[in-house]
Amino acid sequence: MERWIRVSRRWVLAAAAGLAAASRAPRADTRRALRFGLTPVFLDNDWQLLDRLGQHFREATGRDVEYFQRRTYKEVVALLLLGEIDAAWLCGYPLLQHPGRLEAVAIPVWRGQPLYRAYLIVPHDRAASEFADLRGDIHAYSDPDSNSGHLVTVARLLELGVRPEQFFARSFFTFGHRNVVRAVARRLAQSGSVDGYVYDVLSVTEPDLVARTRVLWRSGWHGFPPVVATAEAAGTAAVEAIVAALSGISATAAGRDVLAMLQLDGFAAPAPGSFDSIAALMRLVAERG
Amino acid sequence: MRLLVPLPLSLRVPMIVAALMVLMGIVASQLVLAALNRSQVRQLTDLAEIEFSALTTALGPYVQRDDIWEMFDILDRATLRVGGFRPIMATLIDARGRVIVSSQPEVHPIGTDGVDLIARAILLDDIRYDTASDRISLRNTVVWQGRPVGQLVIDFDVREFAAERRRTGWTLLLGNAAAILVLSVAGYALMRRVLAPIRRLTREMAQPGGAPQPIPEAMVPARDPELAQLFHTYNSLIRAVQARTSAERRLAERERYVSLGRLAGGLAHEINNPLGGLLNTVDTIRTYADRPDVVRQGVELLDRGLKHLRDVSRTTLDLHRGTDGRGPGEQGLSRQDFDDLHLLIRPETDRKAQTLDWQVASDLSGCDRLPAGPVRQIVLNLLLNAAAISGPCGDLGVRVVRDRGMLSLSVWDSGPGFPDAMKPRLLSDDPVEPGEGLGLRLVRDLVKSLGGSIELGLSPEGRNEVRVSLPVDEDRRA
Repeated sequence: MERWIRVSRRWVLAAAAGLAAASRAPRADTRRALRFGLTPVFLDNDWQLLDRLGQHFREATGRDVEYFQRRTYKEVVALLLLGEIDAAWLCGYPLLQHPGRLEAVAIPVWRGQPLYRAYLIVPHDRAASEFADLRGDIHAYSDPDSNSGHLVTVARLLELGVRPEQFFARSFFTFGHRNVVRAVARRLAQSGSVDGYVYDVLSVTEPDLVARTRVLWRSGWHGFPPVVATAEAAGTAAVEAIVAALSGISATAAGRDVLAMLQLDGFAAPAPGSFDSIAALMRLVAERG
Repeated sequence: MRLLVPLPLSLRVPMIVAALMVLMGIVASQLVLAALNRSQVRQLTDLAEIEFSALTTALGPYVQRDDIWEMFDILDRATLRVGGFRPIMATLIDARGRVIVSSQPEVHPIGTDGVDLIARAILLDDIRYDTASDRISLRNTVVWQGRPVGQLVIDFDVREFAAERRRTGWTLLLGNAAAILVLSVAGYALMRRVLAPIRRLTREMAQPGGAPQPIPEAMVPARDPELAQLFHTYNSLIRAVQARTSAERRLAERERYVSLGRLAGGLAHEINNPLGGLLNTVDTIRTYADRPDVVRQGVELLDRGLKHLRDVSRTTLDLHRGTDGRGPGEQGLSRQDFDDLHLLIRPETDRKAQTLDWQVASDLSGCDRLPAGPVRQIVLNLLLNAAAISGPCGDLGVRVVRDRGMLSLSVWDSGPGFPDAMKPRLLSDDPVEPGEGLGLRLVRDLVKSLGGSIELGLSPEGRNEVRVSLPVDEDRRA
């Protein structure tokens, strides 16, 4: 915690410098709307949330924000790499899949730290008590490029010495953590891999849905899904403006509404090694997969 | 089936109208419900085709990509819709009969057998609607890019259709019931109004305690020619009956005088016979005035003769006094009345040299409740008739018996019996043509007025006889 606060102070200074740089940027660039990528994997299409976030961006940067919503991480990453968008809220896993091309520019802080876990969930009345009981299941993943919604479970199975395609009778992707919860709650799937943060938020916002499931297994802590930009765009006014707006999100009423809706504490600068645990899982999968 | 209590016309006609309305209502309701059913099947077919078409288009690409979640999401959203006719369960089944995905995965999990689902579903092209069920299961092949990729089975909620049929049924039932009620009441009121003159006519025809009277001209419904004709015909009928009754009464009266006239000869003879003897006695007294014994004997003889004459004249007067039932102060029947009748008929039988057998029971107790006049008239007429039928030197007789609350009067004769043409005069109420035998009709009328009965039969001696039974006891007369 101490480390991230220290980092955060440094990041705030950097963000302030970025804001100053942004104010010196060419006039045409400052008028262009900020292009922000999203996926339903993490954020559902909550127009109220997006409206309040847009309001905050306008107040903080004086610029409108244009959302680019795609179904998968891959699509959003493609937009990033093509320079179609300035930044996107992604996951640590796709970030690490493009080392040198993508970098985290901001990381959300949840319950005091920029960390989260993956959950393995089952229907609330299912008798299973451990991972091995899920053999032969129809399993719901979130996104092939999701850490909590795919990578963690695959890596865990490999750790246990089984291959996922042999362990589960069948699996499918729902392209949304909320969809994983729905799939398990409706018994379309007998188990599912889901983002622990999303699951906990849903337990507050949609208790009836979450009550039809239960957590069978929790992973270790991993770096929270960050806001990502390409390395080339990292110093641009647009990216700097986005980082500045996120760092000062609690300064506006709209920003505070966004934090309340997302149940986040704020945004911080990513510390070095924030996603090392995810990199370790990737290596495991690469080695044994 | 005949009703135990016959219903009046004013009730019968509205009831027939109501029954016809019920019949018509049932037929019309059946036609409406059948048309509604056909319309619902058409509507159901159209809606189902739209639903299948929309889902097939939406599912196609995801079936091709085996995107379980998107397929589920599409089917799930389709079944979450609200509305009258909506899918409540949708299941996609592959070519091997395995469930690809269902909107109710808890019922039909992925990969389970879906053959039964296909088997119980009706082909979309051949919808048969089972109105008893709340849901209908339809199926159709999902074709994507010209290739069949599975069978889509959708269970539709058709409760709204059933509810619509129920509503329509109730509306028809209540509407028909209201129409029947209104028309029945209106029909009853109308019939009451139409039949009012007929009821008036009926009332006039059934005047209690009196003869029917013609309806006054003012009461004849002039605006209704048919009813007016009926009233006029009724009035004509009543007048004709009155005229006939009056004529019969006159004829009966005349018959009484005729019978009295027939008696007159006998009476004259009866008076003349003793009169000669009496005059002779007077001469004898005059001749032997100085002989007290002869005078005494003569006076005795005169006394008996004069008393006989007095009896004859009194009886004749009694008979003439009338026969219209027992009026106030009129004498009750007694044995003396039969003695009088004997006295009256004997000259007639003597004249014809007939043998008269006279048997009157000594006990006639209670018979004084009967009026003497009508009974005397009955017996006298029957005796005169018997005397006429048996002819010269014939036999006739009377037998009067008190028998179990009845007074039995039998008049027999040695004649050939009643001619058939005469019998109806005594035994029926058929109209009597003027002529002979009016006395017999008078006998019938009198017996009826006394509550008695008449029959023809044979006497113990095998002679033709007329038996009249008159009730004497109060309960028998009631």
